[in-house]
Amino acid sequence: MPDDNNGDDGSVPSGERDASPESRADGGEVTDGGHAVREELPAGDEHGHDFPSMGTVKRWLVTTNHKDVGILYTVTSLFFLVFGGLLALLFRLELTTASGSFLTGTAYNQAVTAHGLLMVFFFLSPFAFGFANYFVPLQLGAKDLAFPRLNALSYWLYLLAGGLFGLSFLQGSTFAGGWTMYAPLNLPMYLPEGVGSTTAVMAMIMFVISVTVSSVNFLTTMHRMRAEGMRIRDMPLFSMSILLTVWMMLFAFAALLAALIILASDHILGTTYFAATEGGSLLWAHLFWFFGHPEVYIVFFPALGMMAEVFQTFTGRRIVGRKWFIAAMTLVALQSFVVWMHHMFLTSINLEIKTLFMATTIGISLPFDLMVFALIYTMIKGRIRFTTPFLFAFGALLLFIVGGITGVFLGAVVLDYEFRGTYWVVAHFHYVMVGGAMAMFGALYYWYPKMTGKMYDEFLGKAHFALSFVGFNLLYFPQFVAWETPRRVYNYQPEFVTWHQLSTVGAFVFGLSFLLMFYNFYKSYHHGEDAGDAPWKYASSAEWAIPSPPSLENFPGVPSYKGGSLSFLSEEEVHGAAAADGGPAHGHATGDAHAGGHDDHASYWPLLSSVAVFVLFVGLAGTNGGGTVYTATAALGGLALLGTAAGWVVESFHVSEPELASRWPFDGVENTKLGVWIFLASDVVVFGAFVGSYIFIRVAEGWQNWHHLLPADHVVLPGLINTYLLLASSFSIVLAMVAAEKKSRAGVVAGLVTTLVLGIGFLINKGIEWSHFFHIHSEHFPEGWTFGTNVASSTFYLTTGMHGLHVTLGLLVLLWMIPRAWRGAYTSTEDGDKPLEYFGLYWHFVDIVWLFLFPLFYIL
Amino acid sequence: MASTKLYTIIFVVLAALTTVQAWVEISGFLDQSYWLAFGILGVVASVKALMVAGYFQHLRSEPRSITYVYAAGLMAALALTVAAAYSIT
Ligand code: HEM
Ligand SMILES: [Cu+2]
Repeated sequence: MPDDNNGDDGSVPSGERDASPESRADGGEVTDGGHAVREELPAGDEHGHDFPSMGTVKRWLVTTNHKDVGILYTVTSLFFLVFGGLLALLFRLELTTASGSFLTGTAYNQAVTAHGLLMVFFFLSPFAFGFANYFVPLQLGAKDLAFPRLNALSYWLYLLAGGLFGLSFLQGSTFAGGWTMYAPLNLPMYLPEGVGSTTAVMAMIMFVISVTVSSVNFLTTMHRMRAEGMRIRDMPLFSMSILLTVWMMLFAFAALLAALIILASDHILGTTYFAATEGGSLLWAHLFWFFGHPEVYIVFFPALGMMAEVFQTFTGRRIVGRKWFIAAMTLVALQSFVVWMHHMFLTSINLEIKTLFMATTIGISLPFDLMVFALIYTMIKGRIRFTTPFLFAFGALLLFIVGGITGVFLGAVVLDYEFRGTYWVVAHFHYVMVGGAMAMFGALYYWYPKMTGKMYDEFLGKAHFALSFVGFNLLYFPQFVAWETPRRVYNYQPEFVTWHQLSTVGAFVFGLSFLLMFYNFYKSYHHGEDAGDAPWKYASSAEWAIPSPPSLENFPGVPSYKGGSLSFLSEEEVHGAAAADGGPAHGHATGDAHAGGHDDHASYWPLLSSVAVFVLFVGLAGTNGGGTVYTATAALGGLALLGTAAGWVVESFHVSEPELASRWPFDGVENTKLGVWIFLASDVVVFGAFVGSYIFIRVAEGWQNWHHLLPADHVVLPGLINTYLLLASSFSIVLAMVAAEKKSRAGVVAGLVTTLVLGIGFLINKGIEWSHFFHIHSEHFPEGWTFGTNVASSTFYLTTGMHGLHVTLGLLVLLWMIPRAWRGAYTSTEDGDKPLEYFGLYWHFVDIVWLFLFPLFYIL
Repeated sequence: MASTKLYTIIFVVLAALTTVQAWVEISGFLDQSYWLAFGILGVVASVKALMVAGYFQHLRSEPRSITYVYAAGLMAALALTVAAAYSIT
């Protein structure tokens, strides 16, 4: 068996392991329990013991366990599937006639827009991440994700973001400008009256925060918590696809976050980015599609990974050209960031760049061809068993082929001049996206026995496949035929009416087929046969080597692939091996001395913090135009958020880093530090997008024409002073670190206090400067120079304001840290200074951002 | 971990480079030859950022892979900025 094939030979769940390097009897000196425990830990308290059972409501509110969170994601995403689906049925009914019948005007626009946003953001990705939560740790041999509480936070932010979106319907009207939210139609003046549109934007921001938290969590987990002996390339293909997906998510969603913050600012503060006559709408298109194209792979990759797993299992064969399959996926993930302008062929971008992006688009379809052929050959070479999961995966492959081919048409500039804005595009992306969803439904059947312990009803499953596949094609294929129908409007050429009626019939067949699925799962859960641990022959990834459903701690021992196949080690063996390897590098930095100790699984804070964010965002959305109630709500939410954040850090929550793990390529750092770094990398993109937007608008305006948009008092000095202040504050943090290493408590306190004072100085200086600009009465700016005065003021205030917000958050953390430093938290234990270091990384990053803002906004 | 002395030197250099940047404007050099000054300011800002990242964030002593992650974010942001700005007709 080739060694990059971790489990195709069937996993051997046995406790034995040959040649155990028992060079140390006990890893005493590696973990030497007792030191580096967080101070507040009440002695002898084991949270694990009062973890409520699955039958209780409380369990689901407090759980941080990855399998529970996975189930929550799955169920919630299916709810949004129904929500989005019902909206679709509404507008499909409208489209049975060629001119308005019952859902006209804004109602139609809202339905179409909300359908798109809900399906893409609140159904597809979270559905995939339900599986990712449940199965990635199992496939890797980890006990949980690296940061379980953050994982729960991601879920609650997601759920409540959905709630916020739902709320927007009740505030007059939700966002009605299409799922791509093109400018300038995404601005209040073109949207229905009321707070609803802004609320929907805030809901999207909340969702993106959830995604970012998840990305950091998954990346840290997948890079640092794989079982011993499992290299990246040994991961099962589903995990592989998720790894690539989260890398794309980390950077792509950062750009969307910037875009949405700018949009919210245009709504709430009255900045004028997207209303800018020079390039405002083009700017949105760039930001959105820089995110948007990777996003289409973000929703598709997990489906691809699931297809690959299902194909392998039900053909009884390892995927043909596994190595190439992985290489192709990796290539696509990289390329996905350089094709975005194929969505902009009909904008005013120049011909050279269109040609370039046409080339990259053709380039990206090649690795896809390779993957499709790999799947086809796997079928040819294997012996197919036509189970429900296989049928869905196979159907998805067919749909993807149709979708892919029609996409290549769109990638050609000249053809796209015809197709843009028509149902060709609609049909194309539904074939690929809903095709991907079909693969995921297959995966739901595939993993249902593992998640519930019960077998689903095969007949009903196949019936669901047949109906949904027929319904799907009846729904979307006519849209290719009637492709000249203009998209996003409710009236069209009467000659297409029959096609659209067929399509509507298909929509109902497709939609209703899901009743079978829900019924099947409901019935099987209560009356199904026991599935056993490994219901599928040839399924070989680690989740099939443990009970269905798996226990809270997942594995009967510590998983290891060192011998070439899966085995479970006992605690003693682990200690021996870890000692022989020199132990985990900086391993117990988070204060988790004993890996064998009980991990915590319950916390209310993720839920409570998310509720606070919800309240804050409800309020913020209405601060401009909603009245003082909204402002008060925002204030309340802000305070609640501070309170819950404090509760979060005070809570003692024990999570152990595995002693024995594959950690490439991040061997030398601990989980938390890696998490901080990964987060900072995404923040680089957020700020990059802000700075990029500024540069874009300024280039569009004429770089050197800019100065007449600035008041004469806009001089270097305030920026210069602030640069000195920030640099000095970075230096004082470094000094605090040095003091901590020397165990000098006074030194640490002095360093932190200095940083705090300098940071406050920075904000005061900025405040003076801003209020001066606000109240200017010059010839050019008789009304002052405020947020909405012009594009220069907008970009200046928002970009430096975002930076100021980062400074403020840092100062809040400092306010927290100083008393702790006083009590010796960072000097009394060996690794106690780690939080200082993490804070320093953040603070220096904020400093670096300013180093670029200073010349850009104050000198040039 | 480097010494306090090294950190102090770095801080002083950073402050000095900042002064140079301000001087480029105040001395009128920016008005005389805008794009040359632009280049200088860009280079100086980058050098400062590298110093903060390399020493204060001690990327120098971290595994190289961390630097790559950071750099990947930067590449993404640059790709967006440059291509978008270039696309303007
Ligand atoms: C196989 C290669 C693919 C190519 C060459 C391709 C090409 C394109 C092009 C050029 C457009 C822009 C059409 C226009 O607006 O005029 C487009 C739209 C779209 N594609 Fe693809 N595509 C491919 C695969 C996919 C996949 C895998 C997905 C998602 C799973 C996807 C989702 C979308 C979506 C959502 C849109 C519509 C965006 C909108 O609302 O305007 N595509 N595709
Ligand atoms: Cu695209």
